[in-house]
Amino acid sequence: MSITDYILIFSIVFVMFNGILVSVLAVIYGERKVLARLQQRIGPSRTGPWGILQTLADAVKLVLKEDIRPQNSDRIIFYLAPLIIFTPIFMLWVVLPFGSGLVLGDIDLGLFYVSALLGLSVVGMVAAGWSSNSKYAMLGSARSAAQLISYELPLILSILSVGLFAQLFTDNPFNLSNIVHAQSGLPFIFVMPLAFILFLIGGLAETARIPFDIPHADEEIVGGAFVEYSGIRWGAFQLSEYTGLITMAFLASILFLGGWSGPFSDKFVWLQPFYISMKTGFIILLAFWIRAPLPRLRIDQLMAFAWKVIIPISFANFILVSLVVFMGDRINLPIYQIQLILGCLNLVSMIALGYLITARRKKRLAVYRERWGEK
Amino acid sequence: METKATVIRDENSETAELRINMGPQHPATHGVFRMVLTLDGERVVTVEPHIGYLHRGSEKLTEGENFQQITTLFDRLDYISNFNNEWVYVRAVERAMEVEIPERAEFIRIILGELNRIASHFLFYGTYGLDIGAMNPVMIGFRERERIQALFEGVSGARMMHNYFRVGGVKEDLPEGFVPAVYALLEHLKKGYEDARDILTESEIFIERTAGIGALDPEKTLDYGVTGPVLRAAGVDYDIRKADPYSMYSDIDFSVPLGSHGDCYDRYMVRMLEIEQSIKIIEQCVKKLPDGPIQGKVSRILRPPEGDFFVHGENPRGDLGVYLVSSGGTVRPYRLKIRGPSFSNLMALKSMMEGAYLADSTVILGSLDIVLGEVDR
Amino acid sequence: MFTALFLFFLWRPISLGTTTGLFTALKHAFRRPVTLQYPTEQPLLAPRFMAHPVLTWDFEVDEPYCTGCLICMKICPTDVITVSMKDNEKFASEESKRRKIVDDFKLDVADCIMCGLCVDYCNFDAIVMSDHFDASVDNRSNLVHDLQTLLEEGKGQQEKGRWSPPATKKSQRRSAAQAKTPDPSSSDETKEQPSEEK
Repeated sequence: MSITDYILIFSIVFVMFNGILVSVLAVIYGERKVLARLQQRIGPSRTGPWGILQTLADAVKLVLKEDIRPQNSDRIIFYLAPLIIFTPIFMLWVVLPFGSGLVLGDIDLGLFYVSALLGLSVVGMVAAGWSSNSKYAMLGSARSAAQLISYELPLILSILSVGLFAQLFTDNPFNLSNIVHAQSGLPFIFVMPLAFILFLIGGLAETARIPFDIPHADEEIVGGAFVEYSGIRWGAFQLSEYTGLITMAFLASILFLGGWSGPFSDKFVWLQPFYISMKTGFIILLAFWIRAPLPRLRIDQLMAFAWKVIIPISFANFILVSLVVFMGDRINLPIYQIQLILGCLNLVSMIALGYLITARRKKRLAVYRERWGEK
Repeated sequence: METKATVIRDENSETAELRINMGPQHPATHGVFRMVLTLDGERVVTVEPHIGYLHRGSEKLTEGENFQQITTLFDRLDYISNFNNEWVYVRAVERAMEVEIPERAEFIRIILGELNRIASHFLFYGTYGLDIGAMNPVMIGFRERERIQALFEGVSGARMMHNYFRVGGVKEDLPEGFVPAVYALLEHLKKGYEDARDILTESEIFIERTAGIGALDPEKTLDYGVTGPVLRAAGVDYDIRKADPYSMYSDIDFSVPLGSHGDCYDRYMVRMLEIEQSIKIIEQCVKKLPDGPIQGKVSRILRPPEGDFFVHGENPRGDLGVYLVSSGGTVRPYRLKIRGPSFSNLMALKSMMEGAYLADSTVILGSLDIVLGEVDR
Repeated sequence: MFTALFLFFLWRPISLGTTTGLFTALKHAFRRPVTLQYPTEQPLLAPRFMAHPVLTWDFEVDEPYCTGCLICMKICPTDVITVSMKDNEKFASEESKRRKIVDDFKLDVADCIMCGLCVDYCNFDAIVMSDHFDASVDNRSNLVHDLQTLLEEGKGQQEKGRWSPPATKKSQRRSAAQAKTPDPSSSDETKEQPSEEK
């Protein structure tokens, strides 16, 4: 590798890093605006035209704050924790493709790399909470560690089911660009919608968004694991949370929504980043929409939901996909038939699950209904 | 979903109980209220409430103010249900001086009192939703409150601290265009109520967070002196408007919602259904509103005769009682004791919280709907 | 038919309480925001809106209505009013009916609780509640409004139409309010437009 190669890579990384940070600022601004509109009010509107400089103003304010460290806290880990959380999420962006060939590192084990890095956020949370030497922080980090570990399983299982299905199309099913190419016929969301929903739920829980945001519930343990951090160190945590959100949305659009492909994307190459941004934006909007009206789950309900509901479903989904792919391959069915079978089975199972889940709820609600009349 | 965890304790290891301070400044304690929780893991072992951070010496202040000036103080007691507080106090002085109140004034008082009840319950809805984590309820709750407060501004001149009820009636007559304005407001409120109901009432996550939490059985609630929606959620049918009717409540047709489990979800539902009932009451009163004078025959300077008088009324939070001791012929009371409902409701906090999770502590406190101005006076 | 069957089977799983909440929130997104962009848009205040009290000016005789009788000072719950009176020179020269006139009047807006008792108890219609809710200043001593400031603000209120001189005397109106039939000249104001006040 010559010097020019190094300079090229460094400049691309630099541009991408700044691009991600700027888009995080935009996402935070977008969240405030979208949440405001969902609540019949206007979001930020004074700082800059339409309030677009609001996040920048917040960031500047955070930088200017006093840097407080509790006296008995573990100094080295206290200062390192934001970095531990920050780094893996940015390392993920190396393998994510923006277009055909527009990827920094076209690794054959791209999916594997992704799943490995997703598990590292636990370490940062625990480090932050433990080193703060504060009861609230310790509680928050214990809760968040439990939550993150439990919800990794459905996330990884749904990623694996995508990889399993993609091996019908290519020889390197874990390469993210190949996965996008495999969806040129039919995006995977139509083939396995259940896996998409599981990925969404796992993604929301990994980035600790409502309804899974008990680790930093403002109303109980104000701030959770980050309560002792002030200024830009806390800003780093917020940044990493929103970067995680964008990363999850990006991954979801690559794995399920067809990535950068869309109408006319083969002819006009410049349309490809546009398409993937649109799809990522759609999923981010979905996350915002889920945040506004839903309450948060309590930690034990969260864990019960994960271990008793989501993980069995994700295992069942994984087994279903692997069975269908394996049998289809054996009988040498054409691919579209496999897709059809898988899609129909998924739909049927979703409906059945819907009935199962709501049966318990409806029974409970019936008790209330009959007590209160018509509500 | 109740989860049972078996804790394996090794004899060689020590576990300590964690003491956590949910201090006076906390986003979820509804005012300056301090709870010292002793936790065993995530379960609350015991809770020690500390009050008094908002003590302003209201009862002592009343000994230095004229009877007309004390109304302004009662506005600020439970600063969310202002009309209802003024009403109870004004009735106490009226009972002392044996004043006849004209019918129009009574109906005006009922309309404003019930509107204030709706406003207070919307505030409860908003803050309770925020405690549980949802962000839409607080915006809806305050949006409906703004509408009601705009009507109050037209009637009394102030959105919150009205000083509108006087001994003998009300201060001045309703403005012109009040009746169509009330009908328009009720239409808006019904839509807002449906929005509010759709977001939280049937939401599975909300039911999981509140059903079965903080249950109180009826005997315990009566022992602790709990009144108001908390009592009715436990199943005890006691509403002062029905049990000891005052004003024109005996002529109005409304029902009192009752719960059966006494848990947080029941308290929420009782308050939501009370909003519906209050809308019904207001509709009837506006139809029945007679013409006439708005103040009974009472002198400007109030000098009640000697004696002690107790009057209680159904506030949105419970049973507000005013015990007035007058030494006869003076412009100031000798002693005015206020029985605040939130103070008595807080007594039940300890028994509700023991054994609950830490995350439920804010849910339980929110469902009691206390206002620190009334607890500390 | 396929879609009907589809919807029939999917309706029950979809109509969870959670999804009802989500769709209600979405409904809100398409309504007009209820935000009032203060200070570019000012709120619409009711005619009876009560901010701190101000003093009225008698334009016919060219002197304040206030005679300095000290009733408002005695009735104020927070003791923010300080008044003193002096002999009225215009009474001696037969221009005005007021024997005494206000000499000095201080109102501490910082402590005023805006209860309106002073307006209720004034027998001379001299004091009236303004709509000046935005009374913040840089220096705390500027919050004590003296006589000139209050009279200026009172003239502003009269120009805005929030208060006009009474047609009949106040005590006559009070007894009319307590009588069997309401007096048609009193208490007839609309909520929307400012009009004749008592």
